Amino acid sequence: MRGYKAVLVDRADLAQGTTGRYHGLLHSGGRYVVSDPRSATECAEENAIITRIHADAVERTGGLFVSAPGDDPEFPDRFAAGALGTGVPCNEISVGEALRREPRLNPGISRAFEVQDGSVDGWQMVWGAANSAIQHGATVLTYHRVTEITRDGDRVSSVLCHDEKTGEDVRIHCHFVINASGAWAGQVAHMAGCPDVQVVPGRGIMIAMNHRLVNSVVNRCIHPADGDIIVPVHTVCIIGTTDVKVEDPDKLAIPRGEVQQMLDAGEVLVPGFRQSRAVHAWAGVRPLVKDTRVSASDTRHMSRGMSILDHEERDGLKGLLTISGGKLTTYRLMAENVVNAMCEQLGDKRPCTTANEAVPKSESGTTYVITHRLHDREGDRLDDQIICECELMSKKMFVDAMESQPTASLDDLRRQLRLGMGPCQGGFCTLRATGLALDHERIDIVRATGLLRLFLKNRWIGLWPILHGDQVRQTALDDWIFRGTLDVEHLPQPESEVLV
Amino acid sequence: MSDVVVIGAGIAGLTAANHLVGQGARVTLVTKGIGGLQLGQGTVDVLGYAPERVERPYEAIDAYVQQHPEHPYAVIGADGVRRGVEVFSGLVDGLLAGDADANRLFPTAVGAMRPTTLVQPSMVEGECVVGKRYCIVGFTRLKDFQASLIAQNLGRTSLAGGRVDARSVTVDFVAREGESDSSGVSFARALDDAGNRRRLVLALKGVVGAEEVIGVPAVLGLNDPEAFADIARQLDHPIFEIPLPPPSVPGMRLNQHLIDKAKRARGRFILGSKVIGHADADGRLRSVTIATAGHDTVIPADSFILAAGGFESGALTLDSYGAVKETVLGLPLVGADNPELIHGDYWGREQPLFKVGVAVDASMRVLRAASGHGDGEPVYDNVYAAGGALAGATRWRDLSGEGIALGSAVRACDAILQANGGAA
Repeated sequence: MRGYKAVLVDRADLAQGTTGRYHGLLHSGGRYVVSDPRSATECAEENAIITRIHADAVERTGGLFVSAPGDDPEFPDRFAAGALGTGVPCNEISVGEALRREPRLNPGISRAFEVQDGSVDGWQMVWGAANSAIQHGATVLTYHRVTEITRDGDRVSSVLCHDEKTGEDVRIHCHFVINASGAWAGQVAHMAGCPDVQVVPGRGIMIAMNHRLVNSVVNRCIHPADGDIIVPVHTVCIIGTTDVKVEDPDKLAIPRGEVQQMLDAGEVLVPGFRQSRAVHAWAGVRPLVKDTRVSASDTRHMSRGMSILDHEERDGLKGLLTISGGKLTTYRLMAENVVNAMCEQLGDKRPCTTANEAVPKSESGTTYVITHRLHDREGDRLDDQIICECELMSKKMFVDAMESQPTASLDDLRRQLRLGMGPCQGGFCTLRATGLALDHERIDIVRATGLLRLFLKNRWIGLWPILHGDQVRQTALDDWIFRGTLDVEHLPQPESEVLV
Repeated sequence: MSDVVVIGAGIAGLTAANHLVGQGARVTLVTKGIGGLQLGQGTVDVLGYAPERVERPYEAIDAYVQQHPEHPYAVIGADGVRRGVEVFSGLVDGLLAGDADANRLFPTAVGAMRPTTLVQPSMVEGECVVGKRYCIVGFTRLKDFQASLIAQNLGRTSLAGGRVDARSVTVDFVAREGESDSSGVSFARALDDAGNRRRLVLALKGVVGAEEVIGVPAVLGLNDPEAFADIARQLDHPIFEIPLPPPSVPGMRLNQHLIDKAKRARGRFILGSKVIGHADADGRLRSVTIATAGHDTVIPADSFILAAGGFESGALTLDSYGAVKETVLGLPLVGADNPELIHGDYWGREQPLFKVGVAVDASMRVLRAASGHGDGEPVYDNVYAAGGALAGATRWRDLSGEGIALGSAVRACDAILQANGGAA
């Protein structure tokens, strides 16, 4: 948007590494009014901007901060004062009013504050931003893993990428590289010969429940802690999260103990939570920049603010900036700041306009509502087929997405369409989607069958750690379908499994 | 007063109820919901994989239980399974065909070649044999049958001695006017009508080649037992059905037939009523209590058969703390104390959870504190179990579901009849 020629490369699908692996919260800032006032103010400002420019990805659910039985009785007053001081819109409401809005909420809560939390679809948001960039002339290359960053003297000169789908290597000559690879920022900086960029991955797990137990974001009014939030997102609600320092951002477990911890925490906010149906779990990493002021193992209290490393100052290499830290709500501000820093290094004054221009499909400013797809299907139900009943995904939606991304896996399409993300976890839609993908004639039967196998395997990654209650029953039915009735297991074995 | 209460309306429960009423017993079948027959493929599996593909299932059972002593076949035995399947074949009055001793391969809706023992007459022509030429015909408005996926997978599958040849076409046969997303059941109901069958036959004649066998989704009629024969006669060309994901029209045919048959023989059939309690005395179960409108209903009986299924029906549950329970009568379970009930390897070894169930003796009486089938004392003298509740099998992997259900159901019935002096 500032007139530079830009190429975006990602080693996997957009938002697959970190941005999509969160609980869906568009922060009001309330979470940080006591612990990190600067982040709180940034969040409050960016919340309004994101809601405007990414309207189609945002649901304005509103949010509550509630004091549950046993929570620190002093904290709510500090919270209210913090909100005032940081400019985070906040209003105390009666317990009765909070329970009227959220009937499943624990009736034992003692105080409640309303804030402007929302939920945002991370994949939709990132694709909105990417499509906006493409409209402005950028190139977006997914599944291009950076393998080498070359320099010409004291300047960056090119980036070598490996296309994971085709196996080809692609060299991109450039004057500038912005390293925004989150938890992997240290690895990427290292390729440019800049050692010791320390990003501490803080792992958190999230669990999606099969429907919206709450219709607004519900936070516990306490210092940030594990399992302190439930976010309604699309057809589900998500409880998060834990925070454990890990060594390798590519190896993220969903430990049983943490699942139990989340279920207990859910029970505090919504009694009966354990009897509800958990459909899926995942883990993500916070890319936290190491700050010597806190212990290296305490990832929750490291700065949630962003930090920009200028490798010219730091390592004597021109044309490379690393941005890390931050949070999804402030992603746009992070981008603005890092491009400002680039302009400064290039001695180029070009103002940022990202806060003023809506991304494609958000121009109307109409935010997402839960009934959107129901409305759409009412319109086309006699002319089109519903391929995924849980998420009301039509055949046309699937075929169009396949058309724009012929090399996509079913998981790539899932992230944009929510294919297979509902209660049946792919039990009914996977076969249909595989057939449609094959009929699209850009892939052959070996790949189509491989995609089916890969999709089922990947769904299981997020299912087995939380499997209990009615989801066990669903899994048994799905197993009957795929292994019993269809006998997918005894299709011709692939020479090698499809992996991307 | 009933002689026997059967709990559950899947293949095990319906077979038990029919077999007992056929022998003169007074039977009440109570069920929470409609049974699982309508979710399966509508064929009879005895043993499909051990884990290599099984060709002669009854002959393979002995060796299989040597390796898997936890399997229900260890107490049912090959002869018990065979008797169960024979009784069932008699009950379904021609709805099943095939050589009970041999497995044959039939195409699935993803194009795999699946072994099974008895199929419906409408499936017989589908048998996968070298050199066969398939024309797989999809319906534009039926999304659960992806014809090209089926044909291309069939075509690349090796059989001993060669391959089959398969191509696909799609025809726009309309089940319900103005609707482009019709379910398999809608198609099946449409094909109960002779006029619609003529339309389908015309469409099929337009696409099929001389040497080809036509494979279509398993929707060729639901309630009209002559539907398939009528289509085959008009077409004058070999045609067969391929089962779809649920709801299963072939399963619904069997289900409806068995319910009607039991009712005609004066069996009581109580649908939509969950068992919510029971009473026992002197080591015997005296009655079960079911939830009915207005008040609960107590049903006393001499004997009880638990045929409520496994995890797929909700008869077995795993709670959020990891505890597994049998929800109908609260019976003890085998395998529930495994510290790793579920693991992350989707395509790998069996999930221990799905092998949890009740242990039974050779009469199918449920055992207490057992380490496996045949070990321990009965919980009650008169409570038997059949089908998916039995421990030790992942029925959708070794393809033993119907064999277990039928073998155990008929064994339990025979034991009950014998205990009551040969006639109930």
